[in-house]
Amino acid sequence: MIGRLAQIAGAYFRSALQEEFAYRGDLFGNVIRSVLNLGTAIGGVVVIFSHTETLGGWTLGQTLSLLGIFVFVNGFVAMFMSPSLNRVVEEVREGTFDYVLMKPVPALFLASARRFAVWHVSDIVLGAIVLGVALAGLDVRASGWGVLLFVALLACGVTIVYAIWLALTTLVFWFVRVANVTMIFNLFFQTGRYPIEVYPFWLRQLLTFVFPVAFVTTVPAQAVTGRDPSWLVWVAPVIAVVALLAATRFWRFGLSRYTSASS
Amino acid sequence: MRSRTLAGFASLLRAELADLFQYRIEMFLYGLWQVVNPIIYLVIWSTVVGSGDIAGYDRDDFVLYYLVFMAVSHLTLAIEVYTMAPSIQTGRLSPHMLRPLHPFWRAGALNIAYKAVNLMFLVPIWIGLALILRPAFDPDWLGIALFLPSMVMAASISFLIGSCFAMFAFWTTRSMSFWDIWMSLTLLLGGQVAPVAVLPGVLQQAAVILPMRYTVGFPIEVALGRVQGAELAAGLAIQAGWTVAAMAAFVVLWRAGVKRYGAVGA
Repeated sequence: MIGRLAQIAGAYFRSALQEEFAYRGDLFGNVIRSVLNLGTAIGGVVVIFSHTETLGGWTLGQTLSLLGIFVFVNGFVAMFMSPSLNRVVEEVREGTFDYVLMKPVPALFLASARRFAVWHVSDIVLGAIVLGVALAGLDVRASGWGVLLFVALLACGVTIVYAIWLALTTLVFWFVRVANVTMIFNLFFQTGRYPIEVYPFWLRQLLTFVFPVAFVTTVPAQAVTGRDPSWLVWVAPVIAVVALLAATRFWRFGLSRYTSASS
Repeated sequence: MRSRTLAGFASLLRAELADLFQYRIEMFLYGLWQVVNPIIYLVIWSTVVGSGDIAGYDRDDFVLYYLVFMAVSHLTLAIEVYTMAPSIQTGRLSPHMLRPLHPFWRAGALNIAYKAVNLMFLVPIWIGLALILRPAFDPDWLGIALFLPSMVMAASISFLIGSCFAMFAFWTTRSMSFWDIWMSLTLLLGGQVAPVAVLPGVLQQAAVILPMRYTVGFPIEVALGRVQGAELAAGLAIQAGWTVAAMAAFVVLWRAGVKRYGAVGA
């Protein structure tokens, strides 16, 4: 079963790739977009650090590493997650979600791995480069364990993002005119550009436990920049698993409420 | 003729208001963008400035700046890339071109309706935050008097430039990417990441010349008395210049775009 699903997802990905190469001019424009967006983001961090040595205890290099992670995750989400899930919202609105349910594969799979915005690969690559360069400047010794921990924490962060996004998407079964999920998600995700230590206590709690952006950028960055990892490192996997289980259950519950669009 | 246009615009505005009012919760979620982003930078600069000051801004000044920023950035927001670009792409622009009114009157009505509908949520938020944060405020009356004209120019530049980016949809399917670039430049040079006076050397010089600051940051600086005398006069002149330039770009792009639209047969 898993093998067949992987095959299907692979076929969808290849067709997205082919579609992308049909518009090579746009691809070029997108690379420019990524570079300029990154440039202004780095510019923002540099402006802040031109007036201070540390931000919430983070140095310039550490904050730039965090920015790299932010850009990377942002690109990853935009490439692999949002296109499929946003399509679900459209389909439920139009009633064409019926066709998804009729296919002989789990609806959650089709809802999550059908569309890919390949052009966001430039954000992923650039984010990784910024992280790499910032880390090189920081002169942290990367132990095998450290790298492993970082990758595991990043995976937890991405899982949490998926869970949040899936839950937001599921709302469409009640509120057909669900707002643009990308917009809502990005709104709160913006806070992840900076270490959560910057924010006042109540906001920090909110960004840790209610809308857990902290686990997506700050926690992996703590691990990889050699900062003292907070206790959140140990909570991250728990939150990721709980969030994923809760979101998929919520999805199934929502799906049972789907009434098609002819009513 | 003139009054017919205005009457048409008024009825478009009523229609868009009624339409958007149905989706007020969704509109409110969009509106939150203009609250959350300034709060991030309000928090960061409050932390960074400590008890000292940066380029004449102490903690209270930063708080005040970002509170006004919330209001101004909402009122000068351009949404044309989200409203007009899709109609150009899908061809839904066609019926609007048959009307005896330039289609961008509708875009303008949508723009104003969006802002008006959101005010009912945002005004209480602004007042609430102002009451919680209570920054000291020493009014500069000349600045306050000049705020309105500067705001109107800022909103106009913003709308016209937003429309220009939307019209890129006549040529490319990804006008949104170009808009992304514009928005991230506005973030940095328009006064969101930091008030323009706080930007380091080269960036500050660029910000003074380029249009971004005149779409959002400048009216705030005027209202708070941050620009005075010759600097104020020069700023207003540059802003007026960009208003004219944006209008010209709008007209040129529309003429070229409409030809292209017909040629594609969309």
